Amino acid sequence: MSPSSELLAERGARLPDGVALHARPAGALVRAAASFTSEIFVSANGKRANAKSILDVLALGAEGGTQLVIAASGDDAVAAAEQLALLIPALA
Amino acid sequence: MPDMATGNGHVSLVLVSHSAEIAQGLAELVGQVAGPEVAIVTAGGAVDGSLGTDGGRVLEAIRSASQGAGAVVLVDLGSSILAVRAALGELSDDEIEKIVVADAPLVEGAVAAGVAASTGCSLAEAAQAAEEARRVAKL
Repeated sequence: MSPSSELLAERGARLPDGVALHARPAGALVRAAASFTSEIFVSANGKRANAKSILDVLALGAEGGTQLVIAASGDDAVAAAEQLALLIPALA
Repeated sequence: MPDMATGNGHVSLVLVSHSAEIAQGLAELVGQVAGPEVAIVTAGGAVDGSLGTDGGRVLEAIRSASQGAGAVVLVDLGSSILAVRAALGELSDDEIEKIVVADAPLVEGAVAAGVAASTGCSLAEAAQAAEEARRVAKL
């Protein structure tokens, strides 16, 4: 991929109150991230995780109500960041 | 008897532990994180229900998973690995092609491989996800 085709997108999203990024919601997030070709990172509490790595995402230790930042780079970066930003507040 | 559903195109997991409860509990955990599409076969404990590994049970589990998209085998300690090695020696060449034993921590490796498998990845990719678990910091 040439650098000129790289797109960058960043979106914020807040975990619902009472829904920490534990097993089930983290799995849902990672599976959604894996459907995109872009590199995607999720940041919270000063930590950054590869959104396609379940262990990375679990290690964020993000509690319910935490504000997350999704940063994607790649051909489908905008769609990835937007879709994950929609998914995160709807996690249960 | 292991229950198998390898026909859906997803890589399966085989969990081998000295404890039936560890294997079963981990299967439940992976099921929750990875969703219902990833088949998980457990081979935990000795035949009489005590702690240990049973070669026949391990062979049956691995053989039942050695079809479809194949399976990543995860093991806990020592003699589990010996039981898996012995089981691999019983498999046909076609069956062995569908099995990868992951050099990975059991819990983290199973969760990582299970989530990878749920995305429809290849056997090699699922095994790689399990082995990458060795390098991911927990804290």
